[in-house]
Amino acid sequence: MEIISDMLAIVQGKNGTIKPTHLMYKANLSHSQMKAYLDELIEKGMIKKDDIKTGTMIAITPSGRDFLFKYNQMREFERTFGL
Amino acid sequence: MVKIVLTPEWFVGKDIMIELFSLIVLIIFVALAYKYYRVNRNRKILYLGVGFGLIALAQLATILTKLPLYYDFGPARQIGEAIVTSQLANSVDFFYYIGFFFHRFLTLLGFYMIYRLPRERKSIGDYMAVLYFILISSFLSREIFYIFHLTVLFILILTVEKYVRIYKENHLFNTKILIMAFSLLALSQLIFVLSNIDIVFAAANTIELIGYSIFLALIIRILKHGKKKKPYGDNIRYAGNSAG
Repeated sequence: MEIISDMLAIVQGKNGTIKPTHLMYKANLSHSQMKAYLDELIEKGMIKKDDIKTGTMIAITPSGRDFLFKYNQMREFERTFGL
Repeated sequence: MVKIVLTPEWFVGKDIMIELFSLIVLIIFVALAYKYYRVNRNRKILYLGVGFGLIALAQLATILTKLPLYYDFGPARQIGEAIVTSQLANSVDFFYYIGFFFHRFLTLLGFYMIYRLPRERKSIGDYMAVLYFILISSFLSREIFYIFHLTVLFILILTVEKYVRIYKENHLFNTKILIMAFSLLALSQLIFVLSNIDIVFAAANTIELIGYSIFLALIIRILKHGKKKKPYGDNIRYAGNSAG
């Protein structure tokens, strides 16, 4: 859950799109981990892959933004109450 | 009007408004806890929501009990008549007794649940013992009203102490707000002990209102937190590479 939210936060922090390799480095993941999490996020409709001339870009979807929004609130709630 | 509650006549109605406000704040807490529980299935969040929910039910019980007592018209009268004419009760006193008993019992149970989190699990026997003492306190408070307020005060002091410890670890401003809100609720309970004096009763209610207002401010801060842009999230694995 934390890794997924970190990945979404990284994509959102780069104005909603990022190169897969940059995401992999910033999220500090191995290639196989990255692929597994990306597949899961795509399946859940939180991110999408955009093929452009220079290669593939990862983009956050409205569903992904919504999840990240709720997740940030939830983490703050948990931290506040020490849960 | 029968003097069943300690509310001074000039404060009648205003106390219900304060309880209604508290009820709304508590319901928002329950809704948030359920919403966040659905995100990560953390049971501690759910139990916290149940704790706030029990206090919300306690507020609802006292509002529904006071309405027929204060206002002799419309739905309030119907509630009173329905209870009095039912097979369950043959006197008005019984209705008030049950209503205020639930208020005391659910309040104590709710605050205890909040205090218990996020500790390690206890045995069923321990929980049964606490439940027994809460029941005893709720029953005895009918005759000696300040036992209830002293018990809530005791639980709230323990709760404040717990959150002070949590604040020392997380240094989060929101936890500080939480400490402030619970401290004010504790102070209001201390003042309620002397609520035989009219002005003291009103003062205790007002402090309780301020306490719940601070809870509302905390909710707003948590809701706003979701909008904050965190480029790397809570990523503790982030290596500090800003390239790209």
